[in-house]
Amino acid sequence: MKHLPKHLRPRRRYLAVEIETWPDADLARGPFQRELWYAAQNLYGDAGSADADLTVLGFDYADGVAETVVRARRGHVEDARAALACIDAVGGDPVGVRVRGVSGTVRACSERYLHGRAGISEERTVVFENDSRTAVVRDSLFDVRGSDGFTGATQLDFE
Amino acid sequence: MYEAVYAHPDGESTVSRVAVAAGRYDYDGVVVRALDARPDYDRLREACDVDLVDAVEIDASNPERASGAVGNYRPQRELLVLRGGTNALNRFAVEQPRIDVLSRPMAGEGNFNHVLAKAARDNGVRVEFDFGPVLRSDGGTRVQAISALRKLRELVEYYDAPYVVSATPSSHLQLRTPRELAAVGEVIGFDREQVLDGLREWGRLAARNRERTSESFIAPGVKRGRYEEDD
Repeated sequence: MKHLPKHLRPRRRYLAVEIETWPDADLARGPFQRELWYAAQNLYGDAGSADADLTVLGFDYADGVAETVVRARRGHVEDARAALACIDAVGGDPVGVRVRGVSGTVRACSERYLHGRAGISEERTVVFENDSRTAVVRDSLFDVRGSDGFTGATQLDFE
Repeated sequence: MYEAVYAHPDGESTVSRVAVAAGRYDYDGVVVRALDARPDYDRLREACDVDLVDAVEIDASNPERASGAVGNYRPQRELLVLRGGTNALNRFAVEQPRIDVLSRPMAGEGNFNHVLAKAARDNGVRVEFDFGPVLRSDGGTRVQAISALRKLRELVEYYDAPYVVSATPSSHLQLRTPRELAAVGEVIGFDREQVLDGLREWGRLAARNRERTSESFIAPGVKRGRYEEDD
């Protein structure tokens, strides 16, 4: 179909979103989009989430940190924020979600707020609570593997 | 703005990790509501960009036990939080000026009414709006949590009782930025400013208590130091 003349096209805003998780999780665009729709639907119902028109555009995941662009209709940015805040897990993996910034175009959004890879991570053996454990280290952040999931720590906890 | 968090071993992330995350999430400080956690605050404060508040959360089964814990911890810690959740504990907390914050009054069996709201106002006990269930649960539990928050908010607004807001995160992943919490608050009937003010209240409480426990403080309005100049 012929696309709409410019003045009739819906106005949009693009949110740069950072998603953090434990290093063993595997995030992808599909599951995140599904969680976002669920979150919006549970918060506003079908009518409200159709209005907000939340769509996940790019999705870049590496080593426990994902960066993505979420599209929302102009005037519904705060609704989008609220829906994003209510995502506590993606496919069972707990996630931390933060909006880095909002822009009027995808390009401005990714140029200004998204920086690509979050840093190289490596495995290391550390002593935590008098116990030898493996940890995934990214910058000065340590995710220490335990019998029942990870514990978040930093360099400070091992000095 | 401050957020009150559970840190390792009460939560899944250490104080330093939560502090790093809180710094990036636009918070000025972190209140560590410790059940068992005893971090080395002196060392951490030197290394962290955000302020750390040495708080304790008392999780007692009944008012008698809570009363003992309040007496124990009040002189040692900068901020005292009591976890409510039963009518007896809620009642006990709002009637104790020594308690700073009544946490999760509507959790479990707990409920709130006009008598408690008035007592909270008169004794300066902050009532906590717990956004945790709104952010992290779904279905019926979430509906109940939201309607409980509405009831609590209406009472707190009507009687002008002091309040704090928290997402009760137990790991750095459960933190949310103030703007996000305000956006969620607006959806469930709060005012934007109201939510942000509830987050600032933690900082004000910490500053007040630090001043009170400092050596120059004798009683409210009385201070040791140089004479004030008359002008």
